[in-house]
Amino acid sequence: MSRGSLIALLVAALALVGLVFANLGDTEDPEQTLQGEAETVPTEDPAPPAIVPLESPPPVLGQALDLTNLAGWLQTDATEFADFDGQVRVVQFWTFGCRNCKNTLENMSHLYTQFEPQGLEVIGVHSPEFDYEANVESIAQAAIDLGVTWPIALDTDKTNFRSWQSGRRFWPRTFVIDQEGQIRFDRIGEGGYDELNSTVAYLVAAGS
Amino acid sequence: MPLLFEGLEAAILPCSLILLIPGAGVALAARQRAAVALIGFGVGALLLSWLRFSDRGGSLGNGLAAVMLAGAVVLLVVPLVRRIRFVAAAGGFIAGAAAATLWQPCVGSEFGQLLTELPQRGLSGLALLAFYMLGLFAPLVVLGAALSLLPSSALRLVRLPMLVAGAGVLVILAMSTAAGLTDDLVGQLVEWSVA
Repeated sequence: MSRGSLIALLVAALALVGLVFANLGDTEDPEQTLQGEAETVPTEDPAPPAIVPLESPPPVLGQALDLTNLAGWLQTDATEFADFDGQVRVVQFWTFGCRNCKNTLENMSHLYTQFEPQGLEVIGVHSPEFDYEANVESIAQAAIDLGVTWPIALDTDKTNFRSWQSGRRFWPRTFVIDQEGQIRFDRIGEGGYDELNSTVAYLVAAGS
Repeated sequence: MPLLFEGLEAAILPCSLILLIPGAGVALAARQRAAVALIGFGVGALLLSWLRFSDRGGSLGNGLAAVMLAGAVVLLVVPLVRRIRFVAAAGGFIAGAAAATLWQPCVGSEFGQLLTELPQRGLSGLALLAFYMLGLFAPLVVLGAALSLLPSSALRLVRLPMLVAGAGVLVILAMSTAAGLTDDLVGQLVEWSVA
């Protein structure tokens, strides 16, 4: 590789990194923004967008597995996954140190608030990527800090993270399970919120 | 483009360290061949990731990954073969494939969409994954370019420390992978960086 092309490569890489950091810098801290607004103009939380149910049944993607070998549960009296049988369940594999997982929580919170009274249960399966994420007190504190109010299953040794995801394992991964225990939605990573919400709305309505 | 930018953002996340640390090791161990070794590393990581994430195979297991990392050290460090450039690329390729075996990514929205569709996509999936990984490997591109730009006089001075550091990183990773401790090792690095 010639010296000139290397310099061009270096400059291009630096420019790309600069663009990303400029982009990150533009991202507003929601907490700061809310605090700033509270000092000047009292505002109410905007209503979450209306959720429209799917028009046709979501496809059956397979049968959900059990959650086994858990180190315990937080924020629930449940002691096993079967305690939620017969309910529509959103099962999300997450870990509190994962930025992409945190980005999904706002939508999950809206979904839980809206559909929990109609029988939805959200189960956050906490599968730590690193040792420091396995500490139960840290998980409980993170749940408070991040506004996670739904049950948390402690998948400390990642048994379920591996068995539910076989060869393709990611944080976060979100499944929707219907009342019969069938998987009706599977999403890797952030996003797909409209489809997730519409699937839940359909299944909850179909079961009522 | 959104995939490239999401890859760039992921480059600063702890989940990516398991790819970037061995990449840095390859660059240092390859010394003046850092650029070509890193190209091999990128291609190896890309191909293995594509195989794994598209359900076409590629799950090699930690034992084989450890052996591959150790093999990469040999190829990068021991200059026994005349075609050094090719050997450096091969060492990088093997190390990249091993690192991709260990990689468990955190996934943003664009990458998530790609991963969800990857088993159904053909080679277009590979091309899109390449865009993402180009962003993810931006720090390695910078490192490789910087090492290649070092004047030979300076390179002569730092050659041995670079070799020891690069090979050391890969050997420690190989040993910790063989012992099943890679997550603990990277986790400790993340905890230190957060502190």
